Amino acid sequence: MKADPDKCIACKRCFPYCPMGRIQRFKRHEKIPGRVYIEIDQERCTDCGVCLRANICPVKALYQPETPWPREVRSILSNPLIEFKGSQVPGRGTEEMKTNDVSGRYRPGEVGVGIELGRPGVGAYFRDVEVVAMALAPLGYEFAEENPVTHFMADRKTGKLREDILNEKATSAIVEGKCKIENLPAILEAIKKAATKVETVFSVEVITKVPPEGEIPIKPILEQYGYWYSINTKNNLGLGEPAFKFYDDEERRSHDS
Amino acid sequence: MTHSLHRRGEWDDLKDDFVVLGCPATGINKKGSAPKTQKFLSICYKHGPINLGDMKTGNIYNTTMDDILSHVTDGTIVQCTFDNREKIVALLKELKENRPGISIIISGISDIVQQCMEEAGLGRIHTIEYSLGTWGRTELLPEFEILKTTTMCGHAMISSDLVKKLVRDVKRGRRTVEEACLEMAKCCTCGNYNMTRGIKLFKELLPLYMVHSLY
Repeated sequence: MKADPDKCIACKRCFPYCPMGRIQRFKRHEKIPGRVYIEIDQERCTDCGVCLRANICPVKALYQPETPWPREVRSILSNPLIEFKGSQVPGRGTEEMKTNDVSGRYRPGEVGVGIELGRPGVGAYFRDVEVVAMALAPLGYEFAEENPVTHFMADRKTGKLREDILNEKATSAIVEGKCKIENLPAILEAIKKAATKVETVFSVEVITKVPPEGEIPIKPILEQYGYWYSINTKNNLGLGEPAFKFYDDEERRSHDS
Repeated sequence: MTHSLHRRGEWDDLKDDFVVLGCPATGINKKGSAPKTQKFLSICYKHGPINLGDMKTGNIYNTTMDDILSHVTDGTIVQCTFDNREKIVALLKELKENRPGISIIISGISDIVQQCMEEAGLGRIHTIEYSLGTWGRTELLPEFEILKTTTMCGHAMISSDLVKKLVRDVKRGRRTVEEACLEMAKCCTCGNYNMTRGIKLFKELLPLYMVHSLY
């Protein structure tokens, strides 16, 4: 995002809207004496567009210039209005568990694990995203095919990202994938270690299919290893059609009507 | 992934906070899903959501229901936010009888969602996702009281500075609490901001902060 120096009157109304904090500085106009405008720090701006959408600028000085690669990744991952063509889903992630009732993406015995770097509201550089991705790659973690971060990998076996995006920043970027349930403790331990190496925060999430018996298989693991988990969850109701057949004996499914 | 999952708060302020999503599946039922998604939205609208929207078009605080409905295409993901458990039970009963055919997801306290499903005759949750919290340099985060408000927008479009600026505006008599919360609701394009909870949290915030000047 940029502010047009010929229009901006440095009124500061856009300042508080920026999720990245105070990233603007005042500049003197070179040609108009006494005129002050604001300059947005392009290094810290993630091109999320919230200041523009807030329609707060009284002189319409804010504008989003065309962003060539690699800066383009900032808006792809930060502006919720932009759809990443690889995932065909607007926003930063994929359909993940939202469509598990019809896709069967997470089968019994598998756990979805997502690490959203920069969330909530801090932002992350891709060099930090790479730290987490590379920590998980050797542990039997299968990166989600359609996720933007997976698309930006130079080597999916190691989790190494493309060199040209490492110094780009996003409001948040998600390392997304799944593993076998028996690998979950090692995966979480690796994430814990990676947390000490990154310059940002990240939110961690785990996904599992709830078996007909109702016992959620990952809960004992989280409790055994002392991981805090939320009381609020995201819950797929199993109403999508056609339903994916998870078990040979579908009569075992208690939630089907 | 999960922009409605990582809402921060305690039982008391999360118990009346539900985000219901309708999501078609790429390669399975996405083609021809627009009328199903419109049907899902219309059913939700009938049950009185406090917010509703799709991230590309906007929410009911910055556009209209007709506009949101008319912009639904194959693959559009829509979300409706509810502030009341009874509305969720009634909604689920109708969705059970009148399935739109796309996947339906509810973010909320899992025990309450499970109870609502049982009351509606839907049985068990199919697939569940937990937040394991925030890791890394958590000293960079704003205070928990502010996080409760800002995390209602999973895309982080409500900044902590905006919350503080609005506290200052309300204290100076420039806006009412409702107008301040409306400003935050407009920033959260998808419609995940729960206005009822937002007003409650904002009223709790007001005595905690005295913001003289931000910049």
